[in-house]
Amino acid sequence: MEKIQTPFTNAAELALAARHEIIKMTSVAKASHVASALSVIDVLSVLYSGSANISPQNLEKQTRDIVILSKGHSASALYSVLALQGFFPIAWLADYCKNDAPLGGHVTSKGVPGVELSTGSLGHGLPYGLGIAMSRKQNGVPGRVFVILSDGECDEGTIWESAMIANHHQLDNLVVVVDRNKIQSLTFTEDTLKLEPFADKWKAFGWQTEEVDGHDYRALQDSLATQKAPKCIIADTTKGKGVDFMENSVLWHYKSPSSDDVTNAFKQLGENY
Amino acid sequence: MRDTFVKTLLVEAKKDPSIILMTGDLGFGVLDQFQKELPGQFINSGVNEQAMMGLAAGYASTGKRVFVYSIGNFPTLRCLEQIRNDVCLMNNSVVVVSVGAGYAYGSQGYTHHALEDIAVLRALPNMDVIVPADPHETVGITQLLASTKNPSYLRLGKSNEPMIHENEVSITPGKINELLKGNDGTIIFSGSVGVIALQAAKVLSSESVNVSVASMPFISRIDLDYLKSAVKKGPLVIVEEHSYRGGVGSAVLEILSTHGIIARIALVAAAQKNLSQIGDQEFLRNVNGINSESIISKFKALTAN
Repeated sequence: MEKIQTPFTNAAELALAARHEIIKMTSVAKASHVASALSVIDVLSVLYSGSANISPQNLEKQTRDIVILSKGHSASALYSVLALQGFFPIAWLADYCKNDAPLGGHVTSKGVPGVELSTGSLGHGLPYGLGIAMSRKQNGVPGRVFVILSDGECDEGTIWESAMIANHHQLDNLVVVVDRNKIQSLTFTEDTLKLEPFADKWKAFGWQTEEVDGHDYRALQDSLATQKAPKCIIADTTKGKGVDFMENSVLWHYKSPSSDDVTNAFKQLGENY
Repeated sequence: MRDTFVKTLLVEAKKDPSIILMTGDLGFGVLDQFQKELPGQFINSGVNEQAMMGLAAGYASTGKRVFVYSIGNFPTLRCLEQIRNDVCLMNNSVVVVSVGAGYAYGSQGYTHHALEDIAVLRALPNMDVIVPADPHETVGITQLLASTKNPSYLRLGKSNEPMIHENEVSITPGKINELLKGNDGTIIFSGSVGVIALQAAKVLSSESVNVSVASMPFISRIDLDYLKSAVKKGPLVIVEEHSYRGGVGSAVLEILSTHGIIARIALVAAAQKNLSQIGDQEFLRNVNGINSESIISKFKALTAN
């Protein structure tokens, strides 16, 4: 029988374990986007350790909370958290990106318990989550919808189309968390296409907007706990967070960790989790 | 066709509250009755086709059947990737409905001409492309789409299309509807161009050439049995109000070729020589070579071979 993990209830412990898995997975698979995964992993860990009402036990329930990782290139982060929380066997992570394996380089929903939407092309997750939130609101179905965006993704028009629609329909069951790591594909977001004043944009679109430290578990939990309108949490993050040589570098959007990189990274994170 | 669609959908939606009609801010005077009678099943998302299609897919994922209505290229090409990923890949229960097939919005210009939509949408996996010939077929096809779940594309004309069938027709998924029977060849059409196919058949018949004429509404699941017997008896002309590239004619050629069937076939489709040419539907059909004269000359050329 394949090993099913006992779920974590502590976000910090879940995130630490997931960081190890992410680095292993991307190294073994020679996959990209390790830094994008390390940037968003604390947000995911907070959601899956209690802030979102979702677990392997309530996956079939229509009233469960929905989490959509719209920045589908951070697949290793979502898969790690889902495996560590017992949605599917932890052994699947070792086959990340392998032929005919369930876990692909961008978030894939088919055959992967806990994944609500296949993503990978940016700007798709928010309209989709909006549709679920609108249906729930109009049909009196409880349960919130959390959509995690990258900051570079906010260059997409669908984000702002959706922001208008959510406000118009007063969807107080929809939460956006932006992984504001300030780096996108080729360089810094502000050198590519200015997002600032970013919070003001969301506020102007009618969203309850909060800026929090995206690596502060307590701050994220507090911000996720309440809402009175469509809510945007701008999670101030560091790309590659937790491994100093991966932090704040465009290179690690693409580079896959060598075995030496893994050893060095594990030293910084602590070997055991 | 669009009024028949909305009327039929309203009847179905009253019986089935999971049916939702969504529009990208189009349908003035057409969708009013539906909105008035079933406001809880009607959504106008605004002018935002990409977000609208993602929204429709997410909405459908909660157990709804969502019909997304707009003009020609807007609910199709404008949001193609949302259809591809969020509808087709996720296999969500969305029906994309376009109005204004071909040159129906003729004088409005090329932006409003739907001439590549069949080619593009039939390339998508899981997508069922359906093109009714007239209001009678639209009734049965709308009922069918209201009672099924798979991703579909309904390509409608606009208004005042002539009835091709004398009465309501029973729709069998994947089946061709034959209107005329003849032993000398076949004209197959999709959409409101049936009227010119019938005109061509009439002229040919006055010259003692008797052809079958048939409507082919199902483009993604083709009636191979009908095609096999059609090409056995004589030449086949396929008529559509769409580009030559990848449309109904291409779909027929693909399937016959795949089955090793060699046949005498000609396509009547839009030449698209001058994209900016303005004119009404009949004018633009004519200058683009979609008329009974083209059908007749192509049929005769095949007979002469």
